[in-house]
Amino acid sequence: MTSHSSRRCRVGACLGVLVAALPCGAVVRAHEIGTTRVAVLFQEGRTYGIEIVTDAEALVDKLEAKAGRSPIAETRPARLQSLLTSLDGTFRQRVKVEFGEAEARPEIAYSVAPGSDDMSAPVATVRLTGPIPPGARHFAWTYAWTSSSYAMAVRNAPSENPVTEWLEGGQRSAPIALALAAPAVDRLDTAARYLALGFTHIVPHGLDHMLFVLGIYLLSNRARSVLLQVSAFTVAHSITLGLSLYGLVSVSPRIVEPLIALSIVYVAVENVLLSELRSWRVALVFAFGLLHGMGFAGALEDLGLEHSEFLTALLTFNLGVEAGQLAVIGAAFVLVGWPCAGRVWYRSRVVVPASALIASTAVFWTIERLFP
Amino acid sequence: MVLCRAPLFAHDMWIEPRPFRPATGEIVSVRLRVGQDLLGDPLPLDPALVNQFVVKDVAGRRPVVRRDGADPAGLVRVATPGLLVIGYGSNPSALELPAPKFDQYLKEEGLDAIAALRARRGNTGATVRELFSRCAKSLVLSGPPSDEPGDRRLGFALELVAERNPYALRVGQDLPVRLTYENRPLAGALVVAMNRSGPSEKLAARTDSEGRVRFRVPPGGMWLIKAVHMVPAPAGASAEWMSFWASLTFEPGAGGSAGR
Repeated sequence: MTSHSSRRCRVGACLGVLVAALPCGAVVRAHEIGTTRVAVLFQEGRTYGIEIVTDAEALVDKLEAKAGRSPIAETRPARLQSLLTSLDGTFRQRVKVEFGEAEARPEIAYSVAPGSDDMSAPVATVRLTGPIPPGARHFAWTYAWTSSSYAMAVRNAPSENPVTEWLEGGQRSAPIALALAAPAVDRLDTAARYLALGFTHIVPHGLDHMLFVLGIYLLSNRARSVLLQVSAFTVAHSITLGLSLYGLVSVSPRIVEPLIALSIVYVAVENVLLSELRSWRVALVFAFGLLHGMGFAGALEDLGLEHSEFLTALLTFNLGVEAGQLAVIGAAFVLVGWPCAGRVWYRSRVVVPASALIASTAVFWTIERLFP
Repeated sequence: MVLCRAPLFAHDMWIEPRPFRPATGEIVSVRLRVGQDLLGDPLPLDPALVNQFVVKDVAGRRPVVRRDGADPAGLVRVATPGLLVIGYGSNPSALELPAPKFDQYLKEEGLDAIAALRARRGNTGATVRELFSRCAKSLVLSGPPSDEPGDRRLGFALELVAERNPYALRVGQDLPVRLTYENRPLAGALVVAMNRSGPSEKLAARTDSEGRVRFRVPPGGMWLIKAVHMVPAPAGASAEWMSFWASLTFEPGAGGSAGR
């Protein structure tokens, strides 16, 4: 009885919508209202989900006929589900998801459940999902696997009341404006995420970058030396990180990665040979920074960049990298520099052995990266 | 991508009972279907649209147990062996079509007289308004087939009546079908028959002066016989035309109670 009365309510609601819509103009439906329903949900302007609920047997019959196969009297939900899944290519021929001018190719999942009571037929739920293309302003929908009228309910957020449009099978919906997600919240979230990704790319994941920064630090215990080198390195890697991500510079990781290792060898060896900052060292560190920037770009691309927040992601990732570097220098200063840098043995017992260790590790990496 | 499909504005409506061959005492699901080439969508029962939803057997005429808003739209319990005639007659629904689409639909449904009438009247309006009604019947057999009794008239505005029991036809026998409009034979109307196993291979004939056509309907798969009739709407109606869509379904050779 419950299901009957709820159905009655649903029909009542449908008729209510129909009656309410009539005075608005040309809403004369060409066909009877069927059992198909479509619900569209846009998630924060990023992804879409479209759910078609329809009679499973009727859909399978039409797909089989379209595929040129004889009708089969199949009523078992599991079998209907596997038939639907196998007819995916046919299903897509009469369904169209459009964002602006472009047609989207959604992921489609098919499921079939038994009817709500013993008498009711199995119900197919077809879920279409995918990302909303960046910059899309309008959505349009066409579904031609029904001959009846059906309601499409569209929501821009799960909590929102849906806007309902009545469509005929095969009819293209009017373009539906996409409400964009609030950018402030979105941007802050992206910024925090990429800041953390940038930091962890150095500490703890980027041992090579950590050793390079340590190499820079160990050359001289003068603040000016550290400051000049770190600044040159930072400016340089920011340049190539940006240029690489915008596609303006592209060097294969097979070249960049061994060179990064070699740059560490150089810095560490020079630490053993020199104890004062020379101008060429700053220039070389700048050049090495260019290399490391390309490495950062590769890492960031592997992590995946959100197109809608490209610049935010780029800047905050870079900022995270700086924070990681400063953390390495800060730790070195607190643990080694501050207690030992004034001692006469600091160079012979700390700088030279540590630099030698860094250099030999980096030599190993260079070989490893050249001959993977 | 081309969204090609069957004509959009002329869909058949039929009753697809499950099963066609119930045992006595069994409950038959009365499923209403709308579509083209026997590929149908379920039509849930719209209480505002039902005019008649009945079943007639040897014991007489009684209403189908309705399931408002649901598919199947109704249930029938088979009380006695024999042929059951299930009927669904709807109230008129409004339809507004662009004139070229309307003319195309007249052609598809063989409504030549109306096309000629429109041409004579010089109808040039951009849109055409129509009120359409459904007059669907289905023949369900419980127990062994017998020649008597056959189909029964339900009194629909447009009605197809099988003059022999389609479940009792012998090899080589045709099924005579009579089309009546307002209880009188309708001559010159296009009647089309199609089978589930090959719905695109349609049989078509025009009714003779007694409103009769004959079709060879071999067993195996559901048959749909259909006809459309159109008349000018009475003065004061909210439309120019009124159409009536008659259909008759049966499934000869459907064995036992498990038939579709």
